[in-house]
Amino acid sequence: MKCVLVATEGAEVLFYWTDEAFAESLRLKFGRSENEGEELPALEDQLSTLLAPVIISSVTMLEKLSDTYTCFSTENGDYLYVLHLFGECLFVAINGDHTEDEGDLRQKLCVLKYLFEVHFGLVTVDGQLVRKELRPPDRERRVQVWEHFQSLLRTYGRLREREQCFAVEAVERLIHPQLCELCIEALERHVIQAVNSSPERAGEEALHAFLLVHSKLLAFYSSHSASSLRPADLLALILLVQDRYPSESTAEDDDPQPSPRKPRSSESIPVQQAWSPASTARARRSSATETDSFSLPEEYFTPAPSPGEQSSGSTVWLDEGTPPTDAPQVQIAEDTLQTLVPHSPVASGPRRIFLDASVKESHCPMVPHTAYCLPLWPGINMVLLTKKLKEGQEAGTTLRSHPLMGDLRQRMDKFVKNRGGQEIQSTWLEFKSKAFSRSEPGSSWELLQACGKVKRQLCAIYCLSFLTTAPGRGGPHLPQQLQDKVQSIMQEKLTDWKDFLLVKSRRNVTMVSYLEDFPGLVHFIYVDRTTGQMVAPSLSSSKRISSELGRGPLATFIRTKVWSLIRLARRYLQKGYTTLLFREGDFCFSYFLWFENEMGYKLQIIEVPVLSDDSTCIGVLGGDYYRKLLRYYSKSHPAEAVKCHELLALHLSVIPTDVLVQQAGELARRLWETSRLPLL
Amino acid sequence: MKPRLGPRPSETRQQPGSGLSAAVCGPLWPQPLLEGMPHEFDSFSSSPAPDFAAFPQTLLDQQELLCGQIAGVVRCISDISASAPALVRLRKLKFAVKVDGEFLWVLGCAVELPDISCKQFLDQLIGVFNFYNGPVSLAYKNCSQEDLRAEWDTFIEQILKNTGDLHKIFSSLWNLDRTQVEPLLLLKAALILQTCQRSPHVLAGCILYKGLIVSTQLPPSLTAKVLIHPAASRHQRRPAGGGGPQERGAALPPNVRIMPVFLTEEEATSLREFPREQAASPAAAPARLQQCSAQQPPHPQSTSAPTDNATGHVEPTAWMLAATPESACPDVAWPDGKGENGHLPGCDLENIKPAKLHSPARDEGPGLGSSLVKELHLPWGEEEPDLSAIHIPEAQETETSSGYFALPSTGAPDGGGPCFEEFVRDSGDPAPESRDAPPVVMAISSVLSPSTPEMLSQNGALEQHDDLPGDSSQAPFPREDHLPGRTSRPRSWPCSDLRQSGTALPEGEQGVERSVGAHDSCSAPGGSALPESQDDNGPSADRRDPGSAPASCMGLVPTNLYTHSVNGLVLSLLAEEPLRGDDAAIEEVYHSSLASLNGLEVHLKETLPKDAAASPSRTYNFTHYDRIQNVLTANLPQTATPQDRRFLRAVSLMHSDFAQLPALYEMTVR
Repeated sequence: MKCVLVATEGAEVLFYWTDEAFAESLRLKFGRSENEGEELPALEDQLSTLLAPVIISSVTMLEKLSDTYTCFSTENGDYLYVLHLFGECLFVAINGDHTEDEGDLRQKLCVLKYLFEVHFGLVTVDGQLVRKELRPPDRERRVQVWEHFQSLLRTYGRLREREQCFAVEAVERLIHPQLCELCIEALERHVIQAVNSSPERAGEEALHAFLLVHSKLLAFYSSHSASSLRPADLLALILLVQDRYPSESTAEDDDPQPSPRKPRSSESIPVQQAWSPASTARARRSSATETDSFSLPEEYFTPAPSPGEQSSGSTVWLDEGTPPTDAPQVQIAEDTLQTLVPHSPVASGPRRIFLDASVKESHCPMVPHTAYCLPLWPGINMVLLTKKLKEGQEAGTTLRSHPLMGDLRQRMDKFVKNRGGQEIQSTWLEFKSKAFSRSEPGSSWELLQACGKVKRQLCAIYCLSFLTTAPGRGGPHLPQQLQDKVQSIMQEKLTDWKDFLLVKSRRNVTMVSYLEDFPGLVHFIYVDRTTGQMVAPSLSSSKRISSELGRGPLATFIRTKVWSLIRLARRYLQKGYTTLLFREGDFCFSYFLWFENEMGYKLQIIEVPVLSDDSTCIGVLGGDYYRKLLRYYSKSHPAEAVKCHELLALHLSVIPTDVLVQQAGELARRLWETSRLPLL
Repeated sequence: MKPRLGPRPSETRQQPGSGLSAAVCGPLWPQPLLEGMPHEFDSFSSSPAPDFAAFPQTLLDQQELLCGQIAGVVRCISDISASAPALVRLRKLKFAVKVDGEFLWVLGCAVELPDISCKQFLDQLIGVFNFYNGPVSLAYKNCSQEDLRAEWDTFIEQILKNTGDLHKIFSSLWNLDRTQVEPLLLLKAALILQTCQRSPHVLAGCILYKGLIVSTQLPPSLTAKVLIHPAASRHQRRPAGGGGPQERGAALPPNVRIMPVFLTEEEATSLREFPREQAASPAAAPARLQQCSAQQPPHPQSTSAPTDNATGHVEPTAWMLAATPESACPDVAWPDGKGENGHLPGCDLENIKPAKLHSPARDEGPGLGSSLVKELHLPWGEEEPDLSAIHIPEAQETETSSGYFALPSTGAPDGGGPCFEEFVRDSGDPAPESRDAPPVVMAISSVLSPSTPEMLSQNGALEQHDDLPGDSSQAPFPREDHLPGRTSRPRSWPCSDLRQSGTALPEGEQGVERSVGAHDSCSAPGGSALPESQDDNGPSADRRDPGSAPASCMGLVPTNLYTHSVNGLVLSLLAEEPLRGDDAAIEEVYHSSLASLNGLEVHLKETLPKDAAASPSRTYNFTHYDRIQNVLTANLPQTATPQDRRFLRAVSLMHSDFAQLPALYEMTVR
């Protein structure tokens, strides 16, 4: 029973998403009053009818009392409503099945808003323009846009429920230094350099390339000219890839109800061949196998235990290191390697996304990029990020005809650079003195109007430059053959490793290796918030894949426990507590957040800000809390680079507290060393 | 009809920044109900005169808007989710909501208060209202809105004044700090209650001293209702000649009132289940007090006649006033430190009870008069023993070292018995207290604390206490046997006066003696008004009689509340309805308890410390919460420093988690 709604102040639905159960409850509600046979109102209309009073009341309260609703809960927490106002849009999340708490719902709303930003960039700053993007007048297009975000939300929900890395919102790396290094080299030489030296690249510059095995990061390479990618953006990209090419762990155990995604591909979108249509013959061959196995869901694709005839050009890898052929692991592989074919071929082209970057030392939010997702094998994907060398020049002629253009052109730079902070005001002042009569200042209302107009103009130009010419809408992008080329190169490079990788991604870190040194430790999650990466023993989310804890009730129990503890830690961190020890039943949970310098020396803890319940959540995807925290801390330590770490540990409650604390320290030290492994 | 919200100094008196912002909407829309238009609360715009009991923080039109909007949203949410919202949260306020037939109860609280406390608080308020007025629909039918509003005002006023930050979080009862009381006196109080139970019709009762629980046989939920008196409500406001003298009124002994009240079915059943002769739950406790009795010579049993108390009783009352921190009542000039300046007693009174005493139409018996004063002011006093509790941990430090700290037992109590205590301490300085109830929850929050392991290892010394609670019968006297130092006077008591006036009052007694006169004079006129006050009881009770019959049909059981006030001391007994007509029974109850009550009052007055103020050198905070009895022991001052705010924040969070997770038994945050 879940629902998300985005509406304007006038209760116009800009976006909605419901799960099956909620849609069903709506059908029951509206079905009864309608005559049989008569068509029910569209889901969006039902929702808007039901929620309009709340939305309007919320706006009224804000106007009259300058306060507004943030949360409703019914008896026993049966239903939970979370409301959050972003600009002029009211976001509402509803849960009626006890699976999410307030923090989860608010997080979901923040993530949704962030996904809007990733897709529409600075256009989201302007209420009217983003309304057009989110609710295009063309019905078919609207359905498309909504379905895209609905699918993203569903994927996000699934990942957050199942993958520890999404639960704590940090990137999980595949721990295999040797392989990682080889991949980085391949990405550098055969992808980034290959693209950037190609004459066909159509003005695109490859900036970042990375390899994902399921939702885990295998290797990441950035070109020298690129600014670093924020952890939040990397997570968002993983989310996009997982949405487009869901891996079995997150998709197959879906609710028994018919996947709501499937009907959609048969609606208006021509069903293309599922796997990358333009990939090499080899890829096509394997995808055919996949499709077959997909049609018979009870039989799962089992890869050849060793690379067979398909691995033609893999000599490079064999030279530098043989993939381990660990017998037990390969055996495990047989039950783990079920994969799904992506449902949604429509989105498989390059996509315009907006990511933060720094240009000439200054931070630029939402800079347009083009993302290419190149599937290597089911479960293994390569992502390439490019930026137009000089974006928006083609639109120049249209822009030049714009009345305010001469002025706005320069101003746009300033606006973008200075957005955020007091400098906006000086820009306003500057604008005022230039745009209006120099002798007499206009009334404040006029100025506000003028500013609003400028903002809208800027957003419109932005939209024109980056959205309407986006690669998804026929804008320029890397030619297909270039994409195919790098894709096949990487496939060749990795072909001997692919099975190993797929297994490894399920057994990335095992608890076994810690049990001896840390008796009583049941589970842990270690997060480096500076780099946005985490390490944790694998917890299987699938009913079919067993973890060290087996696949019975114990494994489920531990999983549930870990997830609830993550929530708990977040709630306390929100209220300014960085250390938490919690003995409940047979388990003892501890949480630590601390700062340290580059050398790993622990720095003095400070008082962390206390946030209100309705503040944006502790997380990365929807408003990067840890980035702000680091900045906050750095103010008192301007001299040194400050790192922020978190450790969540689950012990048996028989472990006395002093032992527990000592273990936590020891564990953090050991993990710190592992996390020093180079990624770039 | 506009809600009447004239200037009410008493309402705005609550502490700024305190957890409770005190927006209490009484039942909304009584009007349409009367006009036969129930279920009308879904309208957004035309709100038909919501009845606000008190809404001090918002302006009038804002209140109407708020109520209208909330009612509408409640309706809307109920439609979607098929159940009404229990909590509506805004950015700066939160509202506990309860839909009760055609009525909507809404209680506004500050956002800092945990959700769960907000809901509990509303339940408690509804409970109190129903206890004294019966079902809300009937109450609004039978009584004028004016009266009910006045009654609301009294309830809310009392609650606001008596409820400190911690009490708000825990929704706990206002209890006497038992560490400050000679245990024999507690035993005596329990015995009085048992004696009364032997009288016909009497079910169970409790004894309050200055609004604080001394001893109770009632379950906490019921004790909470008895604690709050509708003292200034219509029961007293009725014009003296109005109802005509009742046969009942003449027969009541002095200082005794009998009010019709309403129990819920469960409460009634649980009270009647007890075999009366042995029902007294505190009865078990006395056995454990023997050690203590050795430490202090027992006080002579109550020999003092009621008249002797005339002078005696004033002292504690006056002292209460002296002890009241200014913050609780900023707009009132306190008699305390200024007793030296020769404040007139009348002045004090006027400041204290602005409207009520001056209205000639409101005659109040001495019992009522004094209870009024007590109810209005003693509750602050309730803070006082708490404050003084800071010294207890010091006294106990030796105990601690000798291993007397108790007890996180393994126990996650199963659903049946929520027998947790929460003990929250804010310091690296270990000063734990011993407790009887076994599963004690230990939590530490400290900014200046040493590293976590160290802190924790100190607590590691906790040992399980052998003294299992078993039943709540021992509960009223949980700690007695472990507190040898109880009788020792605190070394220094910086008075609250110091903070206010800067006048040094080295010993609280000084100020106290001075105000004695003030109190004498105020209670004296009340004495003459005695007969009228009893007359007042009659009409109001009678008037409600027609209502009480249907009341029982609506899940409420009419019962009688017998109250006997002896200065600061109030004996409240719940009795079967026939008590009101049974003069002999009333006499019996009265005479069986009179002498002991007088004695108890005198001793309590003598035993309790005479002043209260936070020691400025508090190095830690602690809070001990007894979930069975719903009482608190803490050393938090009335006005919270930023440091205390942090502590309160931690307590709120932890309390929410303890309330929700039955298996949780220990928690540390930093």
